[in-house]
Amino acid sequence: MTKLFKLKLIALAISSTLITACGDAETTIIEKDPIEVPDDGHDHGDGDGDDHDHGDEYTIDSLGRLAVLAGDSNTASFFDLDDDALLNTFTLTNDSNTLSSSPDFRYAVIASRAQDYLGFIDSGLWREDHGEHLHDYKQSPAASSFELTSGSRPTHLVKHDGKLAIFYDGDVDSGTVASVEVLTDNDITNATAALPGITYDINMHGVAEPRGEHLLSTIRRDDADSTSVAKVLPDQVGVYHFHDGEYELEQTLELTCPDLHGAAQNHDYVAFGCSDGVLLAHQHDDEYEAEKIANIDAVGDLRIGTIYGHEDSETFIGVASGHGGGPAVIVSINPAEAEMEELEWQLADGASAVSYSFSAHGEHFVVLDSLGFLNVLEAHDHDGHTHWELAGQVDITEADVTTMPESMSFSMTVAQNGQFAYIADPIAQHIVKVHLEDLEIEGELELTFPPAAITWLGIAEEEEEHDHEH
Amino acid sequence: MKRRSQLAVLIAALLPASVLAQTIEGVVLNSQGKAVSNATVEVEGSDIKVTTDKSGKFVITDLQDGLKELHVVASGYAHLHRDITVNNTNQSVTFNLKRSPIEVIDIEATPIHMSAMESASPVSVLSGEQLRRQQAATLGDSLEKLPGVNTNFHGKVASTPIIRGLSGPRVLITQNGLDVSDVSRVGPDHSVASEFSTAQQIEVLRGPATLFYGSGAIGGVVNVVDNRVPTDSTTRGEWNLEHNSVDNQQVASFNATTGTDSFAFYADAFWRESDDYETPVAADIDHDDHEDHSGDYTVENSSEESDGFTVGASYLMDQGFVGIAIEQFNRQYGIPGHSHGGEEEHSDEEESVYADLEQTKIQLLSEYNLDNAWLNKINTRIGHTEYEHAEIESGLVGTTFKNETNELRVDLLHNQFNEWNGGLSFHYKNSDVEAQGEEAFTPPSQTQSFAVALMEEKHFGDFLVQLGGRVERVTINADNVLLPSIDAHAHDEDIEHDDHEDHADTTRVFDVEHEFTPVSLSTGVVWDFAPSYNLGLSVSRSERAPSASELLSFGPHIGTGSYEVGALFDIHDGHFELSDQTIDLETANNIDLTFRKTQGDIGFIFNAFYNQVDNYYYQIDTGLYAESGHDHGDEDGHDHGDEHDHSSELPVYLFKTDDVILHGFEAQFAWQLSDEFKVDLFSDYVRARLKDGGDLPRTPPLRFGTELSYQTSNLSAHLHVTRYQEQDRTAPEETATDGYTMVDASVSYDLSVLNQDLSLYLRGTNLTDTEARVHSSFLKNIAPRPGRSFALGIRGYF
Repeated sequence: MTKLFKLKLIALAISSTLITACGDAETTIIEKDPIEVPDDGHDHGDGDGDDHDHGDEYTIDSLGRLAVLAGDSNTASFFDLDDDALLNTFTLTNDSNTLSSSPDFRYAVIASRAQDYLGFIDSGLWREDHGEHLHDYKQSPAASSFELTSGSRPTHLVKHDGKLAIFYDGDVDSGTVASVEVLTDNDITNATAALPGITYDINMHGVAEPRGEHLLSTIRRDDADSTSVAKVLPDQVGVYHFHDGEYELEQTLELTCPDLHGAAQNHDYVAFGCSDGVLLAHQHDDEYEAEKIANIDAVGDLRIGTIYGHEDSETFIGVASGHGGGPAVIVSINPAEAEMEELEWQLADGASAVSYSFSAHGEHFVVLDSLGFLNVLEAHDHDGHTHWELAGQVDITEADVTTMPESMSFSMTVAQNGQFAYIADPIAQHIVKVHLEDLEIEGELELTFPPAAITWLGIAEEEEEHDHEH
Repeated sequence: MKRRSQLAVLIAALLPASVLAQTIEGVVLNSQGKAVSNATVEVEGSDIKVTTDKSGKFVITDLQDGLKELHVVASGYAHLHRDITVNNTNQSVTFNLKRSPIEVIDIEATPIHMSAMESASPVSVLSGEQLRRQQAATLGDSLEKLPGVNTNFHGKVASTPIIRGLSGPRVLITQNGLDVSDVSRVGPDHSVASEFSTAQQIEVLRGPATLFYGSGAIGGVVNVVDNRVPTDSTTRGEWNLEHNSVDNQQVASFNATTGTDSFAFYADAFWRESDDYETPVAADIDHDDHEDHSGDYTVENSSEESDGFTVGASYLMDQGFVGIAIEQFNRQYGIPGHSHGGEEEHSDEEESVYADLEQTKIQLLSEYNLDNAWLNKINTRIGHTEYEHAEIESGLVGTTFKNETNELRVDLLHNQFNEWNGGLSFHYKNSDVEAQGEEAFTPPSQTQSFAVALMEEKHFGDFLVQLGGRVERVTINADNVLLPSIDAHAHDEDIEHDDHEDHADTTRVFDVEHEFTPVSLSTGVVWDFAPSYNLGLSVSRSERAPSASELLSFGPHIGTGSYEVGALFDIHDGHFELSDQTIDLETANNIDLTFRKTQGDIGFIFNAFYNQVDNYYYQIDTGLYAESGHDHGDEDGHDHGDEHDHSSELPVYLFKTDDVILHGFEAQFAWQLSDEFKVDLFSDYVRARLKDGGDLPRTPPLRFGTELSYQTSNLSAHLHVTRYQEQDRTAPEETATDGYTMVDASVSYDLSVLNQDLSLYLRGTNLTDTEARVHSSFLKNIAPRPGRSFALGIRGYF
């Protein structure tokens, strides 16, 4: 009986295979959103894509990515701005971190001043110049094994034209000295072991501006000679020149800058904030000419301790404030005319600024305030004179700002490939996307944690119409 | 008599598990009436296997009543089948073995019994001394002396076997019956991740073997067998050291098995290093001979360095075994002919281009004999493989290929009933394949298959009938298939790049899901129509699901020097769009005829086959060219204004389907002239053509050859001559290749030192130092076979 049953089973198996013996094939194709390939922005004016360079198929059109530090845990989360998808979350080594981007916006830079630590996380989105074409890459975010731990108290991180200068303040208590290291995205990719830089013989709260083969970095003199009130602040600026793999001091600017704090640069000038005004270094090839613009009355007892600049913006924006915050006065500094001017627009009463930034191409200056307003300023030309005027305000939160969690604030980052600024809101636990030209919120990205800091990463749009050589 | 059965009843009562066990005693003799020692006698469909002693005697105990099929195997003799009816009495039998000049070895790749002399479909096995003589660094090169098998010789660093004109996604390579899980099927420059110096035998199933292995085996299967999961604990081992002159190759390898009564352990390791190999002529066929040449010609980027080890352990039971083995395999090998774009443009300073391959393989194998009314045996194979290789150029990783595969195979062999032997096989496989980088021409995909197969065989008098069927479900998922708008153009048309109508430069993205249900059926008959002769006929219909790379590719593939576009796409008005054609299964209808003389001083095997493949996936030359996207760093200071630079362009090949006919033959003839001398002759041929006219590319030419062997108890010598004829049946874009004659010879001397058997050997290959270009190679014009070479080695057995 069992034998018969087995036979039946086999017969069944065979006959069932015969029935379906014709085989079957089915294909389902769902088309997804296409990837738009941007023009590579070389040399065309207004022709929309009819000027075809080959190599376009290697570029990727993407809004970019956001790195977001969580306020309630030691994590950095990466989001894809094209679909708002969370790509990955990384647990960070240290507790208190600041977040910024690498000079070419490929890496998130995680700095922990107290732990003498800088780490890097690859956003996975970057561009390589392959000679005949630009080649973009899109991969998953990945922690980089590269880290910087040898300098003491990394504080001011300044980026310019593909270079990042890290100013290590040093620490008087532990007897460590100040130093500077300069790196590029390639150094991070290749984990370059020995970075060029400067080592001082004393600690200071300084700043360094990388500028091509030059590095303008602060100098702290002997306390007896120093004009600074707070002696930890430097009062001189040195011009260091990169030769044979190292930076060498070639020039010390003749003008002093007491209590130097804050620096910025544009295409022609480097500006430093001093207690008596703004020190400007004007580049003439390998020489820098120093000039000082004295504080105007509006600055009063305050001092300009923070300066913002943009390669394509003629004017700098200076923020004058008292030591330790308080009310601030925002001024514009026109180096060509050696003029400092108070902006018409100032922060509203009760508002303090939480973040300042130029837009990607420098035509806007944006100030995010503690009341949840994004103030967008625009440069206007009046008889050859640049004025910054308020273009509009965007209310980025509906929440009661007094419910802001303790020691948190709004934070902002500006995309380098368009007109968007992204603002993180720890109350609503989301990020809003603001179009700076249209002054409208065009999207929200929901988070599951309160954001402490954000930075945009990705492929920066090439600046248009360069009429200068690097 | 009565008392005896009472005793039997008593014993049966005491040992309830053994039901009326019977005994067969016997002796195995050769045709001169001399005892054959070390012959194995097996009971088909069971795990019972005994070995004859010095006087040729054996005893099989514990047999149950019924008809038993005994299978007697001894080296140098033809296999013998004998049906014995066991009924209550202990029997005494005599088996007479006939000599077979063609070595007959059973294959392990299939759950039913198959060997070169006995099965309906053709198989070959390379093992023992012959394997050691022919093993090379790559699989194709190791197997190319087997009839019906050619190599796609890729500058000695990579090669896969071509079986009857089919290769790549149609020939499956397995290790102990589990997919080798590399990316060798995707490109000829990708090495097979398996090592042969530590292998025990390599089995080749010619013709459709989808029945046993599914879709990927429509052209055949190569199974590399080693003892990594040991099935017994007899202490034994083998070691080998060799130096080869043509490429300065050094090889060291060993394998060893040992253990206790219930545990067996296995370990092997190998190391091999070679430089770029020398060639008798300049590697490049277009080389200008007027230049003065000093020193030897070599093929650039053909060096290799690999090492690996395997450890395994088994638990041995009375009913079988279960064991696990882990292997680590590393290989760094040059990628010869890594020129960019079809046009040659060799700078004097060759850049170093190589692949760095790493694989970890875990296999769990088990055989369990059941005392069950239905089931006789369960064979289980489980594999997990992680594979990765990076192609590195000037120190930078260009492209990374990954494959992660999980596989499970369970064979349920039933008890013989109504004289049928066979069983059901369940097979699950899941592969995640991914390529990243500038030459990632295939999008990431996940392929999953599940199959049920049935195989049965039965002897009807002089006829052996083998039947089989398999149903499979294959799904391919790829959620990010890219269709870039490439600027493909013909070279003869006036190139006007600045004239692109208004098509936007977008890359279309698709989520693609394929589901296939291939079905394979096969029937075979072997007729022993006269003593020592048999005739085999095998008819099969096999279906294959196309592979992810055949369907979804879109990008430059440097290994083949082409821009590959999968069958999912087609050209419409000069642009690539989704194809209107439905994606269908490939179907092979194959007839195989075999005529053999199985024993005596003369033996032969003749196979003829006719294989019609409908919907055959293959690449056609579109006549268009596309940018390779490959950057050479120091090339021009890019000003592509009016002048268009062709050097970085690749011809665009598109996967299409057509009906194809392959037919041909294999012939093997062996004559044992005396106890010492033997002559072997062989020939093979395949014609691969499109049904509507035209030939397929890279089809091996007609081949014939001879081997003269001399063998005494401690000296053996072989002279091997193979003639490859000219191949002038070429595909449209292909050129004809000249014929050549390869002469190889080897001599080895066995001696015993310190209780170890040692074998010293000297082997010469390409003794006439002839220029030999392999028609089936993608690199035939830039990488000929190596020149004259001598290998000196020593091998030890313990």
